[in-house]
Amino acid sequence: MSVEGVSAIFGRVLQVGDVGSESDFFTLGGDSLLATRVLSAVAREYGVELSFDDFADAPTPAALAERIASLR
Amino acid sequence: MSLIEAFLAAAETYPQRTAIDHNGRSIRYAELAQAVWAVADLLGPSPGTVGVPVTYSPGTIATMLGIWAAGGAYCPVDPAFPAQRQQAMLTAAGCRTVFDPADVPWHATGSRAPHRPLAAVDAERPAYILFTSGSTGQPKPVVTPRRAIATTVGSLRDLFDIAADDRVLQFASLNWDTCFEEILPTLTAGACLVMNDEAHTGSFVRFLRLVERQAVTVLDLPTAFWHELVHYLVEDRFALPADLRLVIIGGEAASPARLSDWAALDTAHLRLLNTYGCTETTLITHAGDLCGPQAKNQPDTFTQVPIGWPLPHVLQHVSEQGELTIGGPCLALGYRGLPEATEQRFTTVGGVRFFRTGDRVEAAPDGMLTHCGRLDSEIKIRGIRVNPAEVEVHLAAHPSVAAVVVAGVTVADHVALAAFVVPRPHADPAALDAELRAFLDSRVPRHLVPSRISIVGELPHTATGKIDREFMRRHLS
Repeated sequence: MSVEGVSAIFGRVLQVGDVGSESDFFTLGGDSLLATRVLSAVAREYGVELSFDDFADAPTPAALAERIASLR
Repeated sequence: MSLIEAFLAAAETYPQRTAIDHNGRSIRYAELAQAVWAVADLLGPSPGTVGVPVTYSPGTIATMLGIWAAGGAYCPVDPAFPAQRQQAMLTAAGCRTVFDPADVPWHATGSRAPHRPLAAVDAERPAYILFTSGSTGQPKPVVTPRRAIATTVGSLRDLFDIAADDRVLQFASLNWDTCFEEILPTLTAGACLVMNDEAHTGSFVRFLRLVERQAVTVLDLPTAFWHELVHYLVEDRFALPADLRLVIIGGEAASPARLSDWAALDTAHLRLLNTYGCTETTLITHAGDLCGPQAKNQPDTFTQVPIGWPLPHVLQHVSEQGELTIGGPCLALGYRGLPEATEQRFTTVGGVRFFRTGDRVEAAPDGMLTHCGRLDSEIKIRGIRVNPAEVEVHLAAHPSVAAVVVAGVTVADHVALAAFVVPRPHADPAALDAELRAFLDSRVPRHLVPSRISIVGELPHTATGKIDREFMRRHLS
């Protein structure tokens, strides 16, 4: 599971450049609505249907990549 | 007819129909009416304003209706709010009692028959107290009388064309007034309210599967959520649920681009209804079909999406400055305990009481209104009204803050709250972001915590002393 892939999704959704693997989606300006775009992109690219609660517990690329890997 | 009378009439006509489908479990009208009476019995006659720690559950609905059956006023308080804020809300609303929805006695025995007579309650008595964001840092309690909610719900039942075979998703948080648009037209028409935890997972595929599986016919969505839904429908080519006939949106300006996208989907049979309203004028005062069988205009002709026409019970007046003012039976009584704020926003013109919305509008020759921005600095964050001055008051109270400006900024196509903070000399700028977030988390609800906090050397002012929005935009990108 690529942390870079999740970082790229964050960057695309938030419209910001380089997102570090430990960057928190919500301190980068993300909110619950933008989070739905991340969830849709994750479902599309990795075939894993996360809920908002899953994401709120793992809001960094590193943590989210780990969560996705454990569910695949 | 009062709302509670309308609900009891529906319960008497359709006792065996499902009133609430909660996670697949059916609660019949007779059962709900029984629970409503049991709550009213526990509260006793005229309980005053009752604080309710709201949960997404049928118990909250039985509590709301039970308070009205007893002659009291409903005041929802979100248990997720900071304790200090909850206390301030209960005090400002003048709550004498708190009723927990977990204590609803479902299937209570010995409760009187559902068709016993109701105590007569003056239609000018409060039905509920809800809060809007105020500039003083304290929540502003809006008092809505029974007459306003009963009249508006009657209008909305007609507008939405709700019939007993409808299935309406209960999506809005039970802490805000939008939920009344979903609950009350439904439960006064003998229709079914669908409550399901799958509605709030944040996954659109799960949301759409739920709507399909539960044969939902009516959706009422915050416009910001609908924007994301359209985005998803276009990108993932997910088919729209088969039984859906009406999608209601509201809370902020709809995007012309998303509207065109929606019109290009298989939606010709489906009503898309845009709505506008303020808490002070009770739920919805203006509406217009944007797309589908009842739309009057081509959906791809708008550069700005209109808010529509006034509903039949609404009086409106547009001032010379273009401000929309609203009168009629939908008007709230005012802000509890704040006579000055009430006088400022509720004015009397030619013997008629009007509410100044603060929204600028333009009218087309056929009377259709388009929203053209605010006359003050109030903004909408995910459909919830936010006065940036309220957040400024709280941030300025932190010992490390010398000066602060809070404003709405656009992040990735939607409005987010941003704070620009000038620290005091002794403050540690590196730690300040986390410190201020923790400080706000203990004082205000989540929607008042800025998405972005920028630590700056000085506040961005223009030559005329106004806040330089261009600077802020550059600073954030």
